[in-house]
Amino acid sequence: MSEFDEPVPAPGEIVSTPGADVLVPSTTIRATAIPPTTPAETELSGVVQFSERKQARRENWRLIRRRPAFIVGVFIVLVWTSCAMLGDKITPHDPFKPSSSTHLSPSAKYPFGTDSIGRDVLSRVMVGARDVIKVAPLGALLGVLFGVIIGMVMGYFGGWLDNVLSRIVEAFLSLPVVLVALLAITTLGSSTWVVIGVVSALFTPVVARTVRSAVLAERDLDYVTSAKLRGESSAFVMFKEILPNVSGPIIVELTVRVGYAVFTVATLSFLGAGPQPPSPDWGVQVSDGFRVISASIWWTTFFPAAAIASLVIAVNLIADSVQSVLEAS
Amino acid sequence: MSAVSASRTTAALAVENLEVAYTVRGIDRAVLRGVSFSIAPGEAYGLVGESGCGKSTTAYAALRYLPRNGKIVRGRVLVGGDDVTGMNTSQLQRFRATEASMVYQDPAQAMNPSVKIGRQLIESFTLLGQSKPVAAKSALDALRRVRIADPVRVMDRYPFQLSGGMQQRVVIAMALACDPKLLVLDEPTTGLDATVEAEVLDLVRVLREESNAAVLLIAHNLGIIRSLCDRVGVMYAGRIVEEGPSHQVFDDPQHPYTVGLLRSLPRHGVRKTERALATIPGILPLIGTDLPTCVFVDRCPLADDLCRDEVPPAAPVGTEGLRFTRCHHPDRIHELVQAPPDVPIGILSSSGANPEVLELTHVSKTFRQRNVNIPALVDVNLQLAEGETLGIVGESGSGKSTLAKTILGIESADSGGAVSLDGHTVAPNTTGRSANDKRAMQMVFQNPDSALNRSWSVRRILMRSVEKLTGIKGDEANARVEALAAHLRLTPRHLDLKPRQLSGGLKQRVAIARAFAGDPRIVVCDEPTSALDVSVQAAILNLLADLQSEEKTSYVFITHDMGVVRYLADRIAVMYLGRIQEVGPTDDVFNGPNHPYTEALLSAIPSVDGEPTSRIRLEGEIPSPANPPSGCVFHPRCPRVIPGVCEVSEPPLREVAPGHAMRCHIPIEQLVELQRKPLTV
Amino acid sequence: MVRYLLRRLASAVVTLWLLATIVFLIVSVLPGDVGRRVLGPFALKEDVARYNHQIGTDRPLIRQYLTTIRRLFTLDFGNSYQTASSVNKIIFPALFRSGKLALLAFVITIPISIAAGIFAARRQDKPSDRIVVTTGLASSSIPEFVTAAVLLSVFSVHWRLGKVFANPPDGTSVIGQFRYLIMPALAMVVAYFGYITRMSRAGVIHGLQSDYARTATMKGLSKGEVMRRHILRNALAPTITVISVQIGYLFGGIIGVEKVFNYAGLGSTMLNAVTHKDIPVLQAAVLLVGVVYMSSTLLADVLIAFLNPRVRLETTR
Repeated sequence: MSEFDEPVPAPGEIVSTPGADVLVPSTTIRATAIPPTTPAETELSGVVQFSERKQARRENWRLIRRRPAFIVGVFIVLVWTSCAMLGDKITPHDPFKPSSSTHLSPSAKYPFGTDSIGRDVLSRVMVGARDVIKVAPLGALLGVLFGVIIGMVMGYFGGWLDNVLSRIVEAFLSLPVVLVALLAITTLGSSTWVVIGVVSALFTPVVARTVRSAVLAERDLDYVTSAKLRGESSAFVMFKEILPNVSGPIIVELTVRVGYAVFTVATLSFLGAGPQPPSPDWGVQVSDGFRVISASIWWTTFFPAAAIASLVIAVNLIADSVQSVLEAS
Repeated sequence: MSAVSASRTTAALAVENLEVAYTVRGIDRAVLRGVSFSIAPGEAYGLVGESGCGKSTTAYAALRYLPRNGKIVRGRVLVGGDDVTGMNTSQLQRFRATEASMVYQDPAQAMNPSVKIGRQLIESFTLLGQSKPVAAKSALDALRRVRIADPVRVMDRYPFQLSGGMQQRVVIAMALACDPKLLVLDEPTTGLDATVEAEVLDLVRVLREESNAAVLLIAHNLGIIRSLCDRVGVMYAGRIVEEGPSHQVFDDPQHPYTVGLLRSLPRHGVRKTERALATIPGILPLIGTDLPTCVFVDRCPLADDLCRDEVPPAAPVGTEGLRFTRCHHPDRIHELVQAPPDVPIGILSSSGANPEVLELTHVSKTFRQRNVNIPALVDVNLQLAEGETLGIVGESGSGKSTLAKTILGIESADSGGAVSLDGHTVAPNTTGRSANDKRAMQMVFQNPDSALNRSWSVRRILMRSVEKLTGIKGDEANARVEALAAHLRLTPRHLDLKPRQLSGGLKQRVAIARAFAGDPRIVVCDEPTSALDVSVQAAILNLLADLQSEEKTSYVFITHDMGVVRYLADRIAVMYLGRIQEVGPTDDVFNGPNHPYTEALLSAIPSVDGEPTSRIRLEGEIPSPANPPSGCVFHPRCPRVIPGVCEVSEPPLREVAPGHAMRCHIPIEQLVELQRKPLTV
Repeated sequence: MVRYLLRRLASAVVTLWLLATIVFLIVSVLPGDVGRRVLGPFALKEDVARYNHQIGTDRPLIRQYLTTIRRLFTLDFGNSYQTASSVNKIIFPALFRSGKLALLAFVITIPISIAAGIFAARRQDKPSDRIVVTTGLASSSIPEFVTAAVLLSVFSVHWRLGKVFANPPDGTSVIGQFRYLIMPALAMVVAYFGYITRMSRAGVIHGLQSDYARTATMKGLSKGEVMRRHILRNALAPTITVISVQIGYLFGGIIGVEKVFNYAGLGSTMLNAVTHKDIPVLQAAVLLVGVVYMSSTLLADVLIAFLNPRVRLETTR
């Protein structure tokens, strides 16, 4: 799916003022006067926002935790994760065992109905997150890892190296991720590790681009010049000096990528490039279910689809909360 | 209330007990704490104060344009008798269209980037009910009125195609479209080059005479206020602490803050060899801080229990009823004025006798952009002695920052030139230089926010420099860091903080400490105080002077501030379009005879002391270094140009007195003669 | 302007070449024997060899690569492995059908989401803004096939409001076709609504906070006038970029939508090619998607240059 840089600060704690006339206010401290001894010693009390800053960060964290979006997101993710981990220990029926009661519509016994070979849809939906919940975060994490390294190199060194890499990144970006993943998985097979590898490979260019632009903004700052003046190596400047300062965008990128990874993996398995039947994977279930939908059997499609939607939205709600808070501070 | 305030109905602007707050994290924080003043029609009133004092907020509140989180809590703003605070949307719109206008700090941003100048200007007139063709004519006239060259072509341009000075003229033309009763100027020349600033200020002065608008001028530069305003209000922490006629307030300040502000400026040609600059202890209280008493109490040397307990009333100064000061002890102001920090700093005067540390011979730097050569430095030759300060002045595009970078090897000089340190030629690029050469040359940057890694603690910042530059490790390095910090008057507590937890002045101290981590021979300072308020600037300048006298470090000090360079520099080089136009001992450069460009720079300073300085004015814009004029690069703007000579050949840098050289075709005797009498342009 | 366009075009060609190379690398160089993969593990060795020879995968890689590149620039993609008919005859009609679907989706999405973006921006941080933002976030994070499946099960099946299959019979009138296409198009609308809304909201907020908007307000213009005359034009540029990028990405999501609704567009064609390992078709389709993406971003750049004099004029020099 699409990525873009949002040029506007997230709503929140930003004080927009006309003129450069305002300091961040403090609730807690008063500038205390230190009796002047010598003139040059005077503005020593210029420690501003000491307690204020820490407090602001704590306040931010409290703000993020209080965001309904964040709470809802975490809750949903936790629900699906525990369902996936506990599996048939908690499902009302065996998710894999066929029965003669096929295509039953939702009822008290089968709240989500049963599918074409009589398996309980609710039980299958409960365990259907198994693959996604493993594959998506891992794929995203690896993608971010490679993306950070490549983006760092592109942004810091610039020049022809950046030009060449930018071209390649752009070529990658000109294709929908799902499409390339489909192509690659067709060629390489659809094992879990292949899917993880393909997802991370496809996310690498996007992350690289984000990191590159963050690094470009840092590269021309004077602390980098100062590091060069004392003879630091490029690796030191990149990973010790610049990296901590671009960690915000990287964390945001990671959370957003996890969302996209869930999206991508679900789509891939729906399209047949992932777990194969009889896997209870949501995408597989939807793919299975919609074949019979013209016979008004909607529940085998609807419930796994809704499950996918809930997980993807949950991850994005978390990502969005993290983003608003990190970008505001 | 101002003692001289014109009665409410006749004042062009009357601000009455205005209180404004910003809501941050759900809490209202006071920014203005009861501001009152008034401006008579045709009068110019200035608001001064350091950043954060609320002067811009006052201006914007007067036109009721506050940020989304800002609100007027109490008070009234009357323009021509109408209460702005009570207007509804359409009244406010009408009011802004016809009664009041504003000129902004950053003209490039103030205009719509994708709409032609003509359309934006015409819009101001159609709003007044003029038809399109009439408005078009009015727009053209408006451009003529602000003395823009070739107004017809300017109408057809986009904002980014104009220079900063032209952009500000257009904004002024727009503001004057409705012939406003009130014209608010918010830092109108901040960010413009000195010679361009002088032109814009001249224009404002002329336009003031042509119109009857009351002017509210916001500026942090006291000289600008003095040269333009009849009266001035000095703001501190959301209050006007002193008010009166500009010349009286600046010549004879009656509030401790005003006294401090004026004394921390390097003025009257004071040099570091004479005395240290005065500073104001403490920092400005943050907005929203609870300040029940005198707002200045925490930083005031005169403060006593009375000041802590009671809000000082506006005490009249003098008998004419023109001035007031919000101080409990106006009678004790003279104690302050005489309080002597007039101790000279133990400076060795360093002319000539000391060994040479740095020498630049035929240093040029050419950038290449899109197949075009841009000469940023052209054949620069300079020497720097041990313990000496060489000031580099010039406007944007003069190459002064490139010079700094080339000395340090951040940019490599073109082949053919050489940078020598203690007699040996160093590699053009930092990476090629030996550890000792790197250690010998360090830099202090303009903006400490950019210069300090914001995710590192102060200790780590200093530690890394100590280790890397001196090779010392472990406990020994730690001890050295602490000694260094103590030397820079940073306490151990500061060491464990991140830069953002420090004020601007403290951050700059950390940056200076870092530069001194390896006992450098030379420190290049690139506008180290221009991002700071004057009182903080004074402390930093004192510190630099102190360090120099102790360590015998040499400085290359880059600045656009003639007052600062005069205070600190032993010698000055004036640059224009990558060339040194004049170089000489500070006194020679300031006393003249001068290169005409230096003369123009000196003329452009708006003086706080009200001395007439406007001897010559430059016209036109600084040419692009990519396309320098023929002959003497300064000739198109030079008021003393010799036709047939100056545009033909570039004059050499000639010595006119021992150590004083300039690049001019005019014989020195003639320059002396020319610069004796004031020149009328 | 012309030089800018030429440079932009040249760089698009380079990117396309890189794209073809990437696709080639994925399908040809990665481990595996095409014939074996197509014919399966039980095929005779000789058959596999004959098959490989027939389709050319036994030739040296460099020659295969040159063939791929030649095909890209001559727009002749050879024959399908599966049906042996010309690839072009398969993909261009499919592209046309997908184009119709996409066009419908965008015609609905663009005005709605730009309006929603402006609406939200003007009410920044108020409840109505939050609702728009959250809806947008949710809608853009759900995969298209999921929306399609839900729409299908709820509207088409449960309430019988739309068609279950999107393929209109031949000769259906335009309005008739609309009835077939509206459900799948809506699935795509839901997906793209979020992005475009978010971008236009961001652009407008940026504009509202700008100094030039302040100048316009201080001139005495009304809020609406400031928005119309000054902000929109500048705020639209990033939105245009997003839309153009979406047009390219659309082909990722369209695969799922077309599968759900059984629509014979480019998405289904690609999926079909994947299942049958019909590499020529797949390669051609992927490159075609690349070309569509390039053209739409190129068009967007032209539009932006048109809106923004800075881009237009500075690049002329």
